[in-house]
Amino acid sequence: MRSFAAALALAIVLAGVTTAGAQKRGGILRVAYGNEIAGLDFHVTPGYEMVWVATNIGCGLIGITPDGKFVPDAAESWTISPDGLLYTFKLKQNVLFHDGTRVDAAAVKFTVERIIDPATRSSMRSFMDSVHSVEVIDPHTVQIRLKQPYAFMLHMLAAYRMGLVLASPAATQKFSPEERRAGKPEAVVGCGPFKLVEWVKGSHLVMDRFDKYFVPGLPYLDRVVIRVIKDPVTQMAAFKAGEIDFIADFSADHVDTLRAQNPRAQVMTGKETTPMVAMMKVTVPADGKPMSKERGPHAIFNDIRVRKAIGCYGIDRKEIVKIAFKGQATPWLGIIPPGTLDSVDVTHLCPYDPARARALLAEAGYGPQKPLVFELMTNTEKSVFSVIATVIKEQVARIGVTANIRLVDKVSWMNTATQDGPFDMYVEDLASLMVLDQNTFLSASTASWNSARHTDPKVDEYYARYAREMDPVKRKVIAREFQEFSADKLYWNTISGSPFYQVAQPWMKDYVYQAEFKVLYKKVWLDK
Amino acid sequence: MRTYILKRILGVVPTVLMITLVVFVMMRSVPGDPVVPLLGDAYTEEDAIKVREAYGLNKPVLVQYAIWLGKLVQGDWGTSILSGRPVLQDVLVRLPVTLELVVLSMGVALVIAIPAAIIGALRRNTWADYTATSVAMIGVSIPEFFTGVLLLLFFSVGLGGLLPSSGWVYLPGTCPMMVCGVSLWGNLQHVLMPAIALGIGRAALLTRLLRTSMLEVIRTEYVTTARAKGLAERPVVLKHALKNALIPTVTVMGLQVGFLIGGAIVVETLFAMPGLGTFGIDAIIGRDYQQVQGFALVTALAFVAINLIVDLTYTFLDPRIRYA
Repeated sequence: MRSFAAALALAIVLAGVTTAGAQKRGGILRVAYGNEIAGLDFHVTPGYEMVWVATNIGCGLIGITPDGKFVPDAAESWTISPDGLLYTFKLKQNVLFHDGTRVDAAAVKFTVERIIDPATRSSMRSFMDSVHSVEVIDPHTVQIRLKQPYAFMLHMLAAYRMGLVLASPAATQKFSPEERRAGKPEAVVGCGPFKLVEWVKGSHLVMDRFDKYFVPGLPYLDRVVIRVIKDPVTQMAAFKAGEIDFIADFSADHVDTLRAQNPRAQVMTGKETTPMVAMMKVTVPADGKPMSKERGPHAIFNDIRVRKAIGCYGIDRKEIVKIAFKGQATPWLGIIPPGTLDSVDVTHLCPYDPARARALLAEAGYGPQKPLVFELMTNTEKSVFSVIATVIKEQVARIGVTANIRLVDKVSWMNTATQDGPFDMYVEDLASLMVLDQNTFLSASTASWNSARHTDPKVDEYYARYAREMDPVKRKVIAREFQEFSADKLYWNTISGSPFYQVAQPWMKDYVYQAEFKVLYKKVWLDK
Repeated sequence: MRTYILKRILGVVPTVLMITLVVFVMMRSVPGDPVVPLLGDAYTEEDAIKVREAYGLNKPVLVQYAIWLGKLVQGDWGTSILSGRPVLQDVLVRLPVTLELVVLSMGVALVIAIPAAIIGALRRNTWADYTATSVAMIGVSIPEFFTGVLLLLFFSVGLGGLLPSSGWVYLPGTCPMMVCGVSLWGNLQHVLMPAIALGIGRAALLTRLLRTSMLEVIRTEYVTTARAKGLAERPVVLKHALKNALIPTVTVMGLQVGFLIGGAIVVETLFAMPGLGTFGIDAIIGRDYQQVQGFALVTALAFVAINLIVDLTYTFLDPRIRYA
């Protein structure tokens, strides 16, 4: 937890966030997102942009502070049984959904069961694997029983993706999933500080203060208007002209320019919680059918010597960070980035050593007589991916290897990565990770997103041991062991952290930076 | 004339059908599956199969097209695979923005092109002609996004927000949503830079074209006759020469609508405008087949309709032209 807390503490210092006592009520917060909101079914729709809406319209059982403490949200208190299998939540009595119905134990049970139901196709379902059942004790007491101890149950409820966002049973049953996804205001009902007024895809999303929000006096803002401005130059122009108050996700490439143009801007960042990876494919379908369980070796990277030659000794992570991020990121090797809980710096295990890389390649049979050529896929979502791919191409050329870059769009990359498509290596930054456990859905051998398609059960064992170990000290030991193991096997090849920036006008007060995990406006006020 | 218009309108049907069919088949030939971004982190092959079935994506392409067409005839443009929103609703929200942008950028192009071409033609091989020709060359050479960024940096950043950098304010009475900015002045402020960025390249092209036409026309016998009869230069140029010189220009203007819609994609993205251009590009990137079809349909209809108007304009410019 220390690294996450330190990251957030640093961010707060960097941000210079104020904590004035005389908050002003009212006003419209104008927010810019860099990407479109995909839809508004909170339990189903993918994307951070949706999460950042969900956490303002919805409420959950508990929240998490920047220093990693769990705090009440709709639950006023909770207890955990000594065996770690039973979580009992006592709910506050004054919590209402935006449709006027009460947030009670039945609503909690309904929400958890909706997420667990495979028919819902919730992105949260895999995180709830440990949940056995939910029981309503009385209208304000609910118990969640687990199949086995799960050390990160509270983390998951508070902040995996959007955490547990409670759904109004009445509204959920009344409206179809399509109506929810499409953002019909009556269908998108939460219990958070803001209620949805309108979402017009490609134009704006408007949320107004929910006057019956259960925390007296909050939120301060009358309205939040979110617009999508994709081009960072336009974002900067709008920011400079005072047309927007807050950029929720600002391009790292343009931070210096924005700072120069707006010396009073609050530029917020912290230790990276998203890994930038150069993923190598380890196995391919033996029968040629994508997603087949019958696996064969990948022609190039199944050989650990080649993986190490390229991914370990052949890549100069410091140089990549210097060129691609102007030094504003951390060169990194571990399976989880520097800002994630229980992260360990194992980068020293892969020093840049072209001679050693050449020797390993020679051992694997590659050399002037049989040069190694592989395809390096990247996508157009962020320009930094192509920069990194180009630097890798240049670096591997130094050890006699040719990397042919294939630039594709985001959807093509997603298809290839998730559907066992043909690739040798790709550059991408993947999901933001609060704790190591959260990476299970991306890198366990059975995960759909295990795009390397490694089949090593030892990875799964590490995840299981880590998630079930209730002693934080022992857990830390497992985490270190796992990160060293991962660095040795290179099923997952991290290059660096992927920096995340948010920018606020000087008059936007009391916003607390929590990386990609939480973008909360309930305590924000405008001093103008 | 009526018979001609009716024939042209009927002629639109196969053209639009062909365009939508080609787009339909092409989109399905492009690698990438909308189900993957739809399911996101929750992606499993089992769920993907179910979703493909639910949206009919597992059917043969021509069957899918027939289903889409069948629904279209009943007024159902389908719903977005990714957002679940009705396509027609989103198209109608975005159409006025792009329509206004395209019309105004053509206006900007004409306001620049007509005087520049007249000056270039009448003052041939003088500094005025060279200036007009050079400016036209520069205009053609600079892509819309570059002009847009320059305008953005000058008017929004350099001049302290003189013109808004992004977003949209609707004309009074045209707000298609619950929450919009509505003001005539605000609308003008928002559309000015995008219209200039988009129109300037077209202005350059039209200047060169019109100048050449003018040069041909002013050498014709009827212009010489008009001058010999003692008509002042202004009516000779504006009434006799320009009107005839405009015919090829108007034809090209009609064809330029396609380029304007293409340019609108870039300009709308740059200025974060909620128009059809951004709608189209988001749809293509996301492989949102239903939205792509909506975009293709509306742009094809717009293109065909504008070219019909162009054809009808000929009768005004040259009364000798008659449609039977």
